[in-house]
Amino acid sequence: MRSSISAALAALLMLLAPPTGAQAAEGTRIQVTGEIIDTWCYYSGVMGSPDAVVGSAHHTCALWCSAGGIPVGLLAEDGTVYMVLKVGDDTESASGDTMLSLAAHTVEADGMLYQRDGLNYLVVANVVSDMDITNQNHNDYGNVPPFSIPDPNK
Amino acid sequence: MRALIAALCLAALPAAGQSPFPVNIGGPFTLVDQFGRTRTEADPEGRAQLVFFGYANCLNICSTALPLMAEVVNVLAEDGITVTPVMITVAPDQDRVETMGAPLAEIHPDFIGLTGDDVALQEAYDAFAVEVTPLFQDPEYGWIYAHGSFVHLLDASGEMLTLLPPILDVDQAADIARGYLEPQS
Repeated sequence: MRSSISAALAALLMLLAPPTGAQAAEGTRIQVTGEIIDTWCYYSGVMGSPDAVVGSAHHTCALWCSAGGIPVGLLAEDGTVYMVLKVGDDTESASGDTMLSLAAHTVEADGMLYQRDGLNYLVVANVVSDMDITNQNHNDYGNVPPFSIPDPNK
Repeated sequence: MRALIAALCLAALPAAGQSPFPVNIGGPFTLVDQFGRTRTEADPEGRAQLVFFGYANCLNICSTALPLMAEVVNVLAEDGITVTPVMITVAPDQDRVETMGAPLAEIHPDFIGLTGDDVALQEAYDAFAVEVTPLFQDPEYGWIYAHGSFVHLLDASGEMLTLLPPILDVDQAADIARGYLEPQS
């Protein structure tokens, strides 16, 4: 439990504190690799620990959340979370076809980083590489949360 | 734990300098509130505004964003900063002048709900880059919609100040808003 809280706190700090500790005066072009995540479940903790609400375990819920309008994020390999404002021609921060098709996928993104109010916003110009769902954590956690896949018998 | 996070968040807020908005957000609109009054992007009371696109009986992100807005309004009021929470409907078939007031009043008594005809609403959606997609029809609640979910902080004239992601907690969101607003005298 303590490790889960610590991980969530660390992730929150990574979201809020710019990696450089400074506020960019304007957008900066970056290339970053990470997983497209469901930011609500990742930060709220309502569906499980940060390790459980990513990857294959959380793919179905991430689709529901993205479709429902939850902003998607990019969880970089160093733990930084970027709020994704758009991907390519997708005009939405969530729920566009591009966002849905990338849910829980690990991608290499090329885009512009904007730091505002202590938050990292990313406008992805190009998904350089889509590595599909590389975090196969359903073996550890199952489907998180279980009810995200409706029971056909109910 | 929340106090620790709030303190850390406060420390992480920028001192100066902001990235420009990477997308062009904000603009004029003319809609109708739950009292039948015409309302534009400017607040008639001269207050700053928190604006969200959603619908009153939405069970998805709105059930998080609308209470968040209400709590931020209350927290800022303690500092003498008066802000009007505004919801622009993405479901005008469900949110009508005569129906949307009651559910919004349950969230906050100052909540303003806005609706209008298709052209007027589309003008507002376009101004704020909000897309609305009907997903499916719930037998109990009617149509369920996908829609943008950022909360927009506007000044009294309707000029866009910044975005508030709905995943922030109340203290984080209020801290960001304080960076743009002054207490009213």
